[in-house]
Amino acid sequence: MPDDTLLQSRRNFLRAFPAITAGVALPMGSARAAEDRHHWGMLVDVRKCIGCQACTVSCIMENAVPENSFRTIVSTYAVQLEVDGHMTASTYMLPRLCNHCDNPPCVPVCPVGATFKRDDGIVVVDGDRCVGCAYCVQACPYDARFINHDTGKADKCTFCAHRVEAGLLPACVETCVGGARIFGDLNDAEGELRRRLDAAKRSDPGAVKVLKPESGTRPNVFYIGLDHRFQGRVDGQAALWRPSEHGG
Amino acid sequence: MNPSIVEVVNVAREVAWLPWAVQYFFLIGLSVGSFLLTLPWFVLRRPAWQRASRIALLGALTCGLTAPVALLADLHQPGRFLNFYLHPNLGSWMAWGAFFIPLYLGGLMLYAWLALRPDLKRLADAGGRWANIYRALAYGGHDSLGAIRVAAVLALSGAALVALYTGMEVMVVHARPLWDTPFLPVQFFITAVAGAIGLVLVLDRFVGDGRAAEDAPLLRLLAATQVLVLAVGAAWLLLGVSGLSPRHAEALAQVAPSTAWRITAVWAAGSALATFWLGLAARHPAWRLTAGLIALHSAWMMRWTVFIGGQEIPKTGAGYYVYHLPLGHEGVLGIVGTAGLWIVVLILLISVLPWAGQHRTQA
Repeated sequence: MPDDTLLQSRRNFLRAFPAITAGVALPMGSARAAEDRHHWGMLVDVRKCIGCQACTVSCIMENAVPENSFRTIVSTYAVQLEVDGHMTASTYMLPRLCNHCDNPPCVPVCPVGATFKRDDGIVVVDGDRCVGCAYCVQACPYDARFINHDTGKADKCTFCAHRVEAGLLPACVETCVGGARIFGDLNDAEGELRRRLDAAKRSDPGAVKVLKPESGTRPNVFYIGLDHRFQGRVDGQAALWRPSEHGG
Repeated sequence: MNPSIVEVVNVAREVAWLPWAVQYFFLIGLSVGSFLLTLPWFVLRRPAWQRASRIALLGALTCGLTAPVALLADLHQPGRFLNFYLHPNLGSWMAWGAFFIPLYLGGLMLYAWLALRPDLKRLADAGGRWANIYRALAYGGHDSLGAIRVAAVLALSGAALVALYTGMEVMVVHARPLWDTPFLPVQFFITAVAGAIGLVLVLDRFVGDGRAAEDAPLLRLLAATQVLVLAVGAAWLLLGVSGLSPRHAEALAQVAPSTAWRITAVWAAGSALATFWLGLAARHPAWRLTAGLIALHSAWMMRWTVFIGGQEIPKTGAGYYVYHLPLGHEGVLGIVGTAGLWIVVLILLISVLPWAGQHRTQA
């Protein structure tokens, strides 16, 4: 399979525009039915991530994420490897974000039903209803949620739902320098995301992985090139730098 | 720890359940435990328990009235607490808690009022500026054992549900192996009862006449709770070390490498042993007070370790998050403020109700 560039990825996404815009012209019920067919997901090709944190910064700018809070971040690790009998050092990058699970543990615990999974697969928080109890923060196995100290509510990645609804890519995908993040509709067999996933599975049935598969959350963020040592809680030396103070 | 992997950049998620949560679980646990200690006298009319049960009722009320304030303060949007009732998600244990707390506290206050009516009448009969108010509150001043027992059943149901939901709420968080154990609700309950006995011993020294433990077998009961605490702790450790339960083994593997966690475990076991010994051997009032203080400290420390310590364990990252207790309302001020509120409620209750003067009013 040819190695698609980021530009191609965007073009393929934008190619679906006529279908989306045509839906706008349909009666409301039909439009909703068309939207319901979407099942948004993301593929992260770890091999292409260069750890530039452009996704981290663009997410913060796009979503007004408060200082020292993150909806997405590229976890970066220094790893010792043995190559031809010699020890050498390498860097491993792992972009992390909400996995928009099909079985999201954050949803059933919410005491007021403020967090829910939309028909298009995106897990969101109703900011008007959230009481800021942080139960969902505890329940998420991926440490993907936090309390936003500007709003006092639970906060997380929304796949930039506001952008997706406008026919745009999530900010992190838009700015990914290495083209490591591919966003799309899992239900679209011809879409870029589905084709990439299917191609990877054809070449190696174990190529596509998710984080913490044993937790039964059924994530919709998939990884190619994910080292098993980083699939769960990382067993290593703690971070050299951590943003630990919130800005609130 | 795998030395071949060094985390260079990652996000440290801050503690989201603040010390307010520790205070809430501590206080509501003490209230439930204290309420149970009121039953031998007010419901079963065991004379040996009269002093202890009266003091325990004071403890149940003061802690029960203070606890919801701490819970409310732990919400980052406390003004929206009404959403618990307007939009309850009944699949969530926390949502049920919003109904169980008023059930328990309503039952407790009804029970306390029925139990104290004869004393209120005596205060009214003694005359004074507040006599009319006491007379109105006494509502005849009858010692209605049947009504007290009905109210006790209501409060007991609420207490059982509060004990259940507080344990389950934390236990169902599978994302944290340390919390994801059926032992946790049991540990919460046993330490709550032990803490409540400790509270009665402390209050008896300062509010009562210091003789509650002479009549009621409080110290033996306290020693028994410590046996259970140690047994449950040993069972948890055994499941983790043996690998019989992968979840317990995972939880143990998360905390075992940490020196701070090992010290905490030794401290907790040492405190339980010390309390056990004092429960068997303490005869002097000062030692009874010491036993009570250690039991209270153990109940609080257990909750601090579970909540704050548990949140210091990253779910995906390496090592541990480092928590620094802030001085403001999210930290020290919250703890001190809750304690201050408890003292205010205590002063109010011992000022207007016949706790310290129980023997005088019965004379």
